[in-house]
Amino acid sequence: MARVLIQMRAAIMRRATSGRRWIGVALLAVLVTLLAVTTLLAGLVRYRYPGAGADVVATLSLGWLLGWIAGPLLTGDDAALRMDYFKLLPIPPRLLARAMLGAAFANVSLLFSLIAFAALIALGARSGVAAALTGVAGTALDLMLAVVASTVAIAAFGPTISSRRGRDFGTILLALTITLLSLASGLVPLVAKRLTDGHSPVLAAVVRILPSGWGAVAVDAAGRSDWGLVALALGGLVALIVVLVVAWPPLLARRLTMSARGGRRRAHGAKPGEPVLPSTPLGAVIGKELRMYSRSVLRSVMLMISFLVGVLVGVISALGGKTEGLPFAGLLFTVIAAACFTNFYGDDGTSLWLTLVVPGAVRPEVHGRVWAWFLVVGPAGLLITVVFTAISGQTWSWPWVLAGEPAMIIGSAGLLALIGVVSVDAPDADGGPSPARVLKTHLALIVIPVVTLFPAAALLFAGEAGHSLWLRWLAVPAGLAWAAWLCRYSVVRAQRRLQAQGPEIFARLRTSAS
Amino acid sequence: MTVTNPESVPALEFAGLTKRFGENVAVDHIDLVVPPGSFFGLVGPNGAGKTTSLSMAVGLLRPDGGTVRIFGRDVWADPVAAKALIGVLPDGLALPDRLSGREILLYLGLLRGMSREVVLERADELLRVLELDGAEPAPVVDYSTGMRKKITLATALLHSPRLLVLDEPFEAVDPVSAATIRTILQRFVAAGGSVIFSSHVMPLVERLCDHVAVIAKGKVLASGPLGEVRGGQALEDAFVHIVGARAGGTEGLSWLAS
Repeated sequence: MARVLIQMRAAIMRRATSGRRWIGVALLAVLVTLLAVTTLLAGLVRYRYPGAGADVVATLSLGWLLGWIAGPLLTGDDAALRMDYFKLLPIPPRLLARAMLGAAFANVSLLFSLIAFAALIALGARSGVAAALTGVAGTALDLMLAVVASTVAIAAFGPTISSRRGRDFGTILLALTITLLSLASGLVPLVAKRLTDGHSPVLAAVVRILPSGWGAVAVDAAGRSDWGLVALALGGLVALIVVLVVAWPPLLARRLTMSARGGRRRAHGAKPGEPVLPSTPLGAVIGKELRMYSRSVLRSVMLMISFLVGVLVGVISALGGKTEGLPFAGLLFTVIAAACFTNFYGDDGTSLWLTLVVPGAVRPEVHGRVWAWFLVVGPAGLLITVVFTAISGQTWSWPWVLAGEPAMIIGSAGLLALIGVVSVDAPDADGGPSPARVLKTHLALIVIPVVTLFPAAALLFAGEAGHSLWLRWLAVPAGLAWAAWLCRYSVVRAQRRLQAQGPEIFARLRTSAS
Repeated sequence: MTVTNPESVPALEFAGLTKRFGENVAVDHIDLVVPPGSFFGLVGPNGAGKTTSLSMAVGLLRPDGGTVRIFGRDVWADPVAAKALIGVLPDGLALPDRLSGREILLYLGLLRGMSREVVLERADELLRVLELDGAEPAPVVDYSTGMRKKITLATALLHSPRLLVLDEPFEAVDPVSAATIRTILQRFVAAGGSVIFSSHVMPLVERLCDHVAVIAKGKVLASGPLGEVRGGQALEDAFVHIVGARAGGTEGLSWLAS
């Protein structure tokens, strides 16, 4: 039966990668190969501090193992072989469990992980044949652990995938991957430096005590001919794998009989209180939008990512002693938050029909969305900017951030309405963002700040070049005036386009929904 | 246009309505009149053009040719006036689904310029009658398909329109809720409202409607008072006869339940 499942997965994957989608898949493959080869090379490097090699490999193995567990957990399930397919088949759970586990091993991702985990062999090879052989055993066990742990994790903690909410998780995965990769580029050198200098015994102990570090511990011990520790570490891995394999069938059985419905939340809005917003069409749209910001997983995740990246990039470099970036944290947050929300109508799917059947709804719709984004992002961006600039002590940056941040907030509030109406990218079949939408977000990261900030930036650079303080401060009102005009122009254009092209925009959303 | 006798102006009128998708003519010069105060059933096989026609009637899909008038107002030339008169229940379209049923109704009522008090009062009443009040304050994303149908119907009724345009209003609705919806619609018609709805379920159309139109392959094959269209036989038989379809299912499958 495992073979049937493998064939089924292969057929589904073939369809999923046909057409233009293979470009994305190929890019992902290149990226993962690079990561895997980097991991492998990390096993070959010699460090001054003894044992640093094992610490680094243990850390990287933790990353790979977390990827195996978190990936399917966040996407909701094995993207190809959904458990729901098997709910109604008269197959004993034990047999199905064995078959699904078997099928899980027929996964191309294992190839990349093999390259990565082979860092253990590379690490061992430096200390002799015995250590290299221990590395081979460690690699094999780490691979098995990765597959088994990932399969079991879905059944144990996975979201209820067949609900509409389950679709949110694909989006989260993609967003978090992008965030983690960009943050890792800042964090990894810091962590690596601490490990390789032998400055952080606690960090080293943690990565070695976790199961992902046991392979590295065994190889390290084999290098010192400490065979007792080798047996303990490898034996521990075997025992952990056995425990997971035994726990899997009952977990699967529980999972298959679980109701797809999530728990009903009773937390919010029990009684409509005094309205804060005006009881007008505009107030209604702002109210709806603010609720969507606080309740939609996609929107919350995008806001969270904007905040994390915006703030952490500055903080991480400040930890390294460079505080020049701190004043611009708020600006970075605002730019990312603007780029993420350039697909207003696409992300909301066919619910645009409500705007089209209600007479006169277009104007409040566009204005309300702009106001809601402004209310959500504006105060936060301004607060981050002021607080971080004050903390950083970089007094030279005040005209820069005060010319940049308010203009950025106001200008992009209008721009994202226009972009959202001109280019509408409907969610893909799984409810996640389409490749075109991801591309648009990345382009917007460049286009929005350039369009919004160029007058202010020109004055600021001219002021720097000519050592003119008043020219630099002139950038503040100039930036605001330009942003105000840009916002107004964009909103009017967006409104006219939605008015004139509403059914055509709706048709694009509808075709991709059906 | 001058309206001489408001009683005689059709609730909905298609004239030469046409829509093509590439080579495929989905709606082919349809002429149709829904008299005011009628309960009008639009029946036809899958892919007949029912949803396409109704989408063009409510301003969601731009026709390639022809006109749609609602009580004499052209939907595409005078959309504000026409759209103010209709309540729409589309099939399978999204809602702002992180909002609860009451929140969606409040949002739409205010968007239509109604006063907050009136909206809240009507929303409570609609939720109670449609038995959705028990679901509050769960967001619509957690609703079943039938519940989504009912909350969408509530959005169509909220502003007390003169014409209801309903695409498959009874699909996926449980029998008790279907009976509730039937009663609401019959009361609406009895009070002078007009309804046009599409359906596959012939007995239901037969039971509710006073007028029917049969469409297939984008053309109106028969239209008029129910009695005329079915001509003395059951609507289901008349439908199969009019559409010229042959009911399959008699050949093959010999292994089934053998």
